Amino acid sequence: MAIKSNRTARKAVLTLFWCVLAFLYLFPYTWMVLTGFRHGVDTISMPPRFIFEPTLAGFRHLFEVTGFQKYIINSAVVTIVSVLLVICVSAPAAYALAHVSKRGGTLLVAILIARIIPGIAIGVPVYLIATRLHQLDTYQALVVINVAVNIPFAIWLMRSFFMEVHPTLREAAISDGCSEWQVFTKIMLPLVLGGMLATSVFVFIAVWNEFLFALILTTSVSPTAPLAMLGFRTQYGVQWDAVGAAAFLVSTPVIIFAFIMQRYLVQGLTMGSVK
Amino acid sequence: MTISQTIPGDAVAVRRRRRIRISTVVWFTLPAAAIMLLVLGVPLVYSFYYSLTGWSLVIPGSDQDFIGLLNYTDVLRSSEFWAAIRVTLIYAVVAVSLECALGILFAVLLNLEFFGRGLFRSLMLIPMVITPAVVGIFWKLLYEQDSGVFNYLLVTLGLEAVPWLSLTVALASVIIMDVWQSTPFFTLIILAGLQSLDRDTVSAAQADGANALQVFRYLTLPHLVPYIMIAAAFRIIGVMADFDKIFLLTLGGPGNVTTTLSVYAYNTGFKVFDIGRTTAISWIYVVFVLAISAPLIWRLFRGASVNRH
Repeated sequence: MAIKSNRTARKAVLTLFWCVLAFLYLFPYTWMVLTGFRHGVDTISMPPRFIFEPTLAGFRHLFEVTGFQKYIINSAVVTIVSVLLVICVSAPAAYALAHVSKRGGTLLVAILIARIIPGIAIGVPVYLIATRLHQLDTYQALVVINVAVNIPFAIWLMRSFFMEVHPTLREAAISDGCSEWQVFTKIMLPLVLGGMLATSVFVFIAVWNEFLFALILTTSVSPTAPLAMLGFRTQYGVQWDAVGAAAFLVSTPVIIFAFIMQRYLVQGLTMGSVK
Repeated sequence: MTISQTIPGDAVAVRRRRRIRISTVVWFTLPAAAIMLLVLGVPLVYSFYYSLTGWSLVIPGSDQDFIGLLNYTDVLRSSEFWAAIRVTLIYAVVAVSLECALGILFAVLLNLEFFGRGLFRSLMLIPMVITPAVVGIFWKLLYEQDSGVFNYLLVTLGLEAVPWLSLTVALASVIIMDVWQSTPFFTLIILAGLQSLDRDTVSAAQADGANALQVFRYLTLPHLVPYIMIAAAFRIIGVMADFDKIFLLTLGGPGNVTTTLSVYAYNTGFKVFDIGRTTAISWIYVVFVLAISAPLIWRLFRGASVNRH
């Protein structure tokens, strides 16, 4: 009895400790969210107002004056199309590469190394090529680059999901006369649906957060939501409530997805390599 | 009778079926490979060609100016380039070390038993996934010298205000921002490592009289090494390419104290429009990053997780 209550007390103390630690650690994020619901003047006033009357003025300003909905729509279009394309192209590759022999491992590492290339290293040539093809400031330019950048990761991650399906399933289907394509579409895809969904979420987060290529490739028609942050930087100190509202809108979808997909997060982060 | 006759033949057949045909691999990977080659490979080749020219967007006709390796020797001789390398390396080494240490601490703390553990594990994910551009712009607000909340809190606690974005402190401020955003990445991976630690071994060690510190030093830590390596490898790659957060927080300034290689390459390309020089920088950059990360990736993934069954 005494031991049990002792344990309960220890758990409670730890919970309290974590409340404090999490509060301190998440303070920058909390401050950002609060800024979106606070009058702009309250944000830059000294001392800062920790207690305030919440307002949606920032959100109103954001939509009515800065036309932020355009950025959100651009981001949504680019992200959704990119995710669909990445999955369509990477799934068959991941399936095939899940069944190659040891020697195929070299090919896999080569794919992964493509991911190491820093975006800015191809930034200027991509810009020049896009200019030459008259594709600056278009959705398709952003989609194409985002798809290419995310393929290596998607292949690696989905491959680890395909490898979890027992190989005898594939062997049995093939001895029954199925072609590889039929095995892939009819047997494998339904089995790795969860994994594909998890991969989609990762690609979604990566494309949604992408900034560099949006900065290089867009001007007025197709800038994405993160790029709007750069615009706010120049009118610095003017409309912090609107900046906070924008930041809240840009970061909330990825946080929601991360919460839903927590289970897969580790596997995705390490591309299924530690297991 | 029939069984013993069919088994050998079947085993061979199964083995033959099990291996996927090379032609199938080619067809299945073709779309992905084609996109990667066209969109990532072609620009690299293209940029190598232009790195050998004196092309500048502000000098008409200069794209025909073939100057050999002059851009490369120029870049390698410029002090700005070496300053950028220095900033990138300091940023990478300091940030990743701090993230690793803090990540282990947080993971150990999150692995203890307490009420609401799942909730706190979720909450710690937030910084990791937030859009880096949003992080950059908000940390600028937090870091403001006169109206920023960090300095307000410091002064309230009786400490001195810090000129966060000044010449001497700015790089440290950038590092703090990245440590805040990326520590959860280490936490999460190391937590997975802790959960895969065999509890029986720990109990046996404790029964033999090992204290908590000894268990951590001789059992937990060695077990965590591969997890730490993976996390560090990915963070090193990430830090090397980092652009948005730094760009929005400091634009690489003041002066060039926070100008990493990526900011330096961006500024040469899109502020000065010197294409020859920028493409040369890009190539040196790629070689630099590959030289550091490719061996890491190779060691971690070579043969790893091939055929789980």
